[in-house]
Amino acid sequence: MLTRLRGGHVVDPFNGVDGVADVYLEDGRIVAPDGRAPDEEIDVSGHVVMAGAIDIHSHIAGGNVNSARLLLPEMHRSIRARLDGTPLSTAKWSTFETGRLYAQMGFTTVVEPAVAPHHALHAHFELGDVPIIDKGALTVLGNDDFLLAALRSNESETAITDYVAQTVEATGTLGLKCINPGGADAFKQNMRAFGLDEIVPFYGVTSRQIFTSLQKATQTVGIPHPLHLHMNNLGIAGNIDTALATIDAAEGLPLHLAHVQFYAYGLEGKSAFSSAAPALAAKINANKNITVDVGQVMFSDTVTISSDVLSQYGRLEGAIPKKGVIFDGDANGGGVVPYAYRISNYYNAVQWAAGLELFLLIEDPLQVFFTTDHPNGGPFTTYPELFALLMSAELRAQWLERLPAEVRDVTTLPSITREYTLNEIALMSRVGPARLYGFTDRGRLDAGSIADIAVYKDQRDKAGMFRNAAYVFKDGELVVRDGAVTKYVKGKTLRIRPGYDRAIEKRLDAYYDDVYGLSRAIFEVPESALAGKSVYAEVACRN
Amino acid sequence: MSNATLDGKSISSEDAYEQAAKILQEASFPLVAGLGADVAGAQAAILLAERLRGAFDHLASRDSLTDLEVLRSAGVFVTTPNEARVRADLVLLVGPGLQSYWPGIFDRLALDKETIHGGTSKRRVLWIGPKRNEAKLDGVEIETIAATEQDLAGVLGALRARVGGRPAALAPAALKKIDAAAEALRAARFGVAVWAAAGLDPLIVEMLQGMIADLNVTTRFTGVPIGGRSGATGVLQASAWMTGFPPRTGFGRGYPEHDTWRFEASRLVDSGEADAALWISAYDGEAPPWESDDIPLITLGPPGSAPKRGLFIAVGKPGENYDAVEFAQETSSLVLRRAGAPAELPTVAEAIAAISAKFSEDLPC
Ligand SMILES: [Zn+2]
Repeated sequence: MLTRLRGGHVVDPFNGVDGVADVYLEDGRIVAPDGRAPDEEIDVSGHVVMAGAIDIHSHIAGGNVNSARLLLPEMHRSIRARLDGTPLSTAKWSTFETGRLYAQMGFTTVVEPAVAPHHALHAHFELGDVPIIDKGALTVLGNDDFLLAALRSNESETAITDYVAQTVEATGTLGLKCINPGGADAFKQNMRAFGLDEIVPFYGVTSRQIFTSLQKATQTVGIPHPLHLHMNNLGIAGNIDTALATIDAAEGLPLHLAHVQFYAYGLEGKSAFSSAAPALAAKINANKNITVDVGQVMFSDTVTISSDVLSQYGRLEGAIPKKGVIFDGDANGGGVVPYAYRISNYYNAVQWAAGLELFLLIEDPLQVFFTTDHPNGGPFTTYPELFALLMSAELRAQWLERLPAEVRDVTTLPSITREYTLNEIALMSRVGPARLYGFTDRGRLDAGSIADIAVYKDQRDKAGMFRNAAYVFKDGELVVRDGAVTKYVKGKTLRIRPGYDRAIEKRLDAYYDDVYGLSRAIFEVPESALAGKSVYAEVACRN
Repeated sequence: MSNATLDGKSISSEDAYEQAAKILQEASFPLVAGLGADVAGAQAAILLAERLRGAFDHLASRDSLTDLEVLRSAGVFVTTPNEARVRADLVLLVGPGLQSYWPGIFDRLALDKETIHGGTSKRRVLWIGPKRNEAKLDGVEIETIAATEQDLAGVLGALRARVGGRPAALAPAALKKIDAAAEALRAARFGVAVWAAAGLDPLIVEMLQGMIADLNVTTRFTGVPIGGRSGATGVLQASAWMTGFPPRTGFGRGYPEHDTWRFEASRLVDSGEADAALWISAYDGEAPPWESDDIPLITLGPPGSAPKRGLFIAVGKPGENYDAVEFAQETSSLVLRRAGAPAELPTVAEAIAAISAKFSEDLPC
């Protein structure tokens, strides 16, 4: 059936479109009508039409997220019954609700960024229970004994390349994330702080060595997504130095830095805590090999979930409410610490301002991605408010009025007049993410692309506009009408299959026998185990 | 032996599914209980309870909730048995009967071997309150601190106090022993406490976790919980991501509400609040705990476990008769267990799907 979305304001920067046009879809894809009359027509005049949005970094599934659910029953009491055909869609913080809420905002692809290799099957089970949207994930390496021991003994780059390719393929993800490289292991050895050039005891390697080796391996394997790095010293005053030094350490190779707002802190002001966002933004502007997501703080009650166990242990003392989980897992593990960001809190207000400065001072929307590092800086449901803030200097000024006055002395935000256009919002939330993960048929609306489409009623209230999409199509099926999910469809899980020299498997078999006295097969993620639960779709690697 | 029975008499599977659907659909508040199932079985069971606006509980919820209560009130430090195996230079075993709750415990923790990660060292092993003659392991010197089940809390409390340098009211000989243990814990580089909630009061787990938190101020210390029987931890995980909550959750209002008292299976049945029950115990055919014997009952269990009363549908044993994903105690993760003895029996999820297929159309989906 040929469907025509007629007369909408199409914002499709990948194809240079920003004006009134029609969009045609058929059998799950965008098509060119070739003169045929549509079987169905939907009048979307007065609406903005974009490709479905893509969230590049949101903690929506896996053991650590599940621990957070169990830790904080008081945070997610449900309050209303669900609609027909959408089981568990109002069960707060459930995988089912996650799919519904994303779809309602016009999001059709979301990447869970922290899958531990030994818990990959669990993560895929949760992702399989997220309806409607497509999912992807990143595999975490960088605190694993096999890699650290290989670096200690100066193994060839080929060995590390094969190990990386094998691990990503075996865990069914889109690439690699590295979280406080070496820091989680150092914490197990009782270090309480860990910087870029500090040495992991017992292995004799530095954080810099670990991440640059993984960065190179990512390139050699041909993984489209650059190494996704969660740097050292997260959240610490003065950590701008770590961020700047890390960018230098990348030596021009592609690198994605996660939730950089948490690294944009200087030591100015009475409290020796200031925004260093301008310096970080300038550095990013000057280094085109770097992409970042912001990890914007939005004032709310939330919970921090991170595989940076060292940093999460440090946060325990300030937990609100006072409890948490510290999981010294195989390799990274994770920490879960609840927290409340308050507009009246000086530090939180500086964090909020620093995040917005980064968005507004980084010039190229393809280098910076909106995230709140859900739920670490705030839940993903605050994205509409975030978009509204980026699109209106006046709205930002209203918020600034409510911050503690001293904050104005340590941020340049009040002086920034830039306002994102719809085109820039689409670049940052559609085109950039697709490019970042190597997706060639999403984030855009040309013929042949997947018919993942978000249609928003154009209105002055941008938050309202983005909160409730008027129509959302997933693979060509109408799944949202007037901000409400009308039915479930089953999204896919996106992965790459890089290929590698199978000799590494023999070596890994022997390693697991030797170290764990256990068959490596126990950690496998066999497709048969996911049958009926999760369906994969392949993303091509670079040659 | 039939694969389906009604009041002990053989019936066809088709009839069994049909009647099961009728019982569940006619109930105003059906209970899905036992839940001794693999993850796929639990997913199907929870979706069924949601669709019927009933409630669900697991047969070992008491044990899961012992640990959960501590998590929800104070938080926890945990690790995996494998991390303990490769790194723990001190292992503190807590409470009696650990091997009965986890037969593979000593094999997995490799207490007789040196540590591997973070350097090689011999391990020190302490056991508080083992059963008589229980603390024996070839090649391992286990230091025991005697405690009956009744005084385990007191002994642990004293140990925590001494770890923190606070006084403990003990006889000098006992104090000396506790002090030596406290010193050992403080001197550990990466200590790991192991306990099984099934044998313990929540107060003990809370004290243990409090002590672990104290120890982390100066060194590293963490814990390995031994989960409940019949797939309890895997079901708990699925329940958490699907509903946000552990078992003992009801859907009477069309959304999940968790209440450890209100949705406890025996109470729901014996009070008459639940008016039909689906009892699942696929691992070993454990019988329901309630006393009432007039609730309409459907049982899913392994062949040979049919109760005298009600409907029975035989299902395979997860991970034995069919490939099943479940929580593995030895890795602290969900794993696929491949069937060693495949059998022509439905999986729990398949049996639930077959029942659901017989619902009449007026049941909303
Ligand atoms: Zn993150």
